[in-house]
Amino acid sequence: MRIVRGVVALAAAALAQAILSRYAPSLARYCDLFLIIVVYFGLTSPPAGAMLMGIGAGLVEDSLLGSVLGMNGFKKTLIGYLVGSFGSLFMLNQPIPRFGILFAATVFDPVAELGLSLAMGRSFVFPATLDLLQRGLGNGVLGLLFFWIAARLP
Amino acid sequence: MAHLLTERKPYLLLLVLLTLNLGLMSSRIKSAGQRSLLEEAVMSLISPFLKGAHWAGQGLSGTWGAYVDLRGVERENHRLREQIDGLALKAQEAEESRQELVRLRELLDLRDSVPWTTVAARVIARGADGSARIVTLDRGSHDGVRVNMPVLTPRGIVGRVIEAAPGASKIQTILDPNSGVAGLIQRTRVQGMIVGAGERGCRMEYVNELSNIEVGDVIITSGLDQIYPKGYTIGIVASIGEGEGLTKLVELRPEVDFRRLEEVLVVLKPEGPPERSASR
Repeated sequence: MRIVRGVVALAAAALAQAILSRYAPSLARYCDLFLIIVVYFGLTSPPAGAMLMGIGAGLVEDSLLGSVLGMNGFKKTLIGYLVGSFGSLFMLNQPIPRFGILFAATVFDPVAELGLSLAMGRSFVFPATLDLLQRGLGNGVLGLLFFWIAARLP
Repeated sequence: MAHLLTERKPYLLLLVLLTLNLGLMSSRIKSAGQRSLLEEAVMSLISPFLKGAHWAGQGLSGTWGAYVDLRGVERENHRLREQIDGLALKAQEAEESRQELVRLRELLDLRDSVPWTTVAARVIARGADGSARIVTLDRGSHDGVRVNMPVLTPRGIVGRVIEAAPGASKIQTILDPNSGVAGLIQRTRVQGMIVGAGERGCRMEYVNELSNIEVGDVIITSGLDQIYPKGYTIGIVASIGEGEGLTKLVELRPEVDFRRLEEVLVVLKPEGPPERSASR
């Protein structure tokens, strides 16, 4: 059941991200629905589930964005593991800590990509601080909304 | 196993998943050499083994090559040795032919200088004891050889025919103790009888004690024996001693080297004085 929910959530996120990118690209820049799903599974599932969701979400994102296959998979897997581990240590069921986790995961995402790019000898332009803050803010707000909706689903 | 990965050891799962992602990435990202990072990583991992295998292969190949080369060298060495042997034999034959040519030329010169008909002959046998007192020639009565005919070499006289078979003849050399040659000292014209002394050479007998003879004097045939023509070298005076009575004992060294006697001239000398018009 949990797997089905994960697959459905992943499909929904892919669909929504595609729609946003197509019809509201400026808004899509400030939200990463795949990241939100991975953080959600990290907070509500064991680290293994979060990692599996991370790799699934990352690979789907790579497929949608046309980026290097595995790049987002790597980042999202790592984020899923870190959030899952962190969530198993602390009580993160309040909005503010969750917002913080979403914000931190948003910042960690380009940091991880920067590290990978450096390791692979590829060029990578780190996003501007303001841009990164806006993206963290967007993911945090949208994530909290997603968590509130998901908590009310059967 | 799955339980271990998901519940107990999540970092193992993380490792697997990250590796999977890295593999996917590397398969898409080409390096400057147009190789994927995965390929490069795999190459980096296996290259030491490949190098080792290459090194071992090269070593083996080198050793095998050296072995094959050695076999080739051995064969070539064998072939060259055979070639050297063949060439040495040919060189030996050529040297032999050259020496024979020299001897035959000397013999030809002698033949031209002898005022009688001559026939060239080869020594085909020596005495049963290996000595040169009696030698056998490959020419006989069919070639005109008769008993008592003198035998010469360019160095001097050899002896006389004592037997003449149709195809061969036997020669008594001047080394034979039973032989006798009338000779004289070329310088002082002192006469005497040359008698063989076996392998030691010859000696001159019946030489007056007062005769003027010195070591080194040349002794030639005097022609008084009616066998050997006059004027051919017999030998050199080697030593002078006291003989029986009022005579000197003169030992001489023959000019002919009987140990190397090979070709000779048999003088088909008729009885009487030489006839220069005789056919050659």
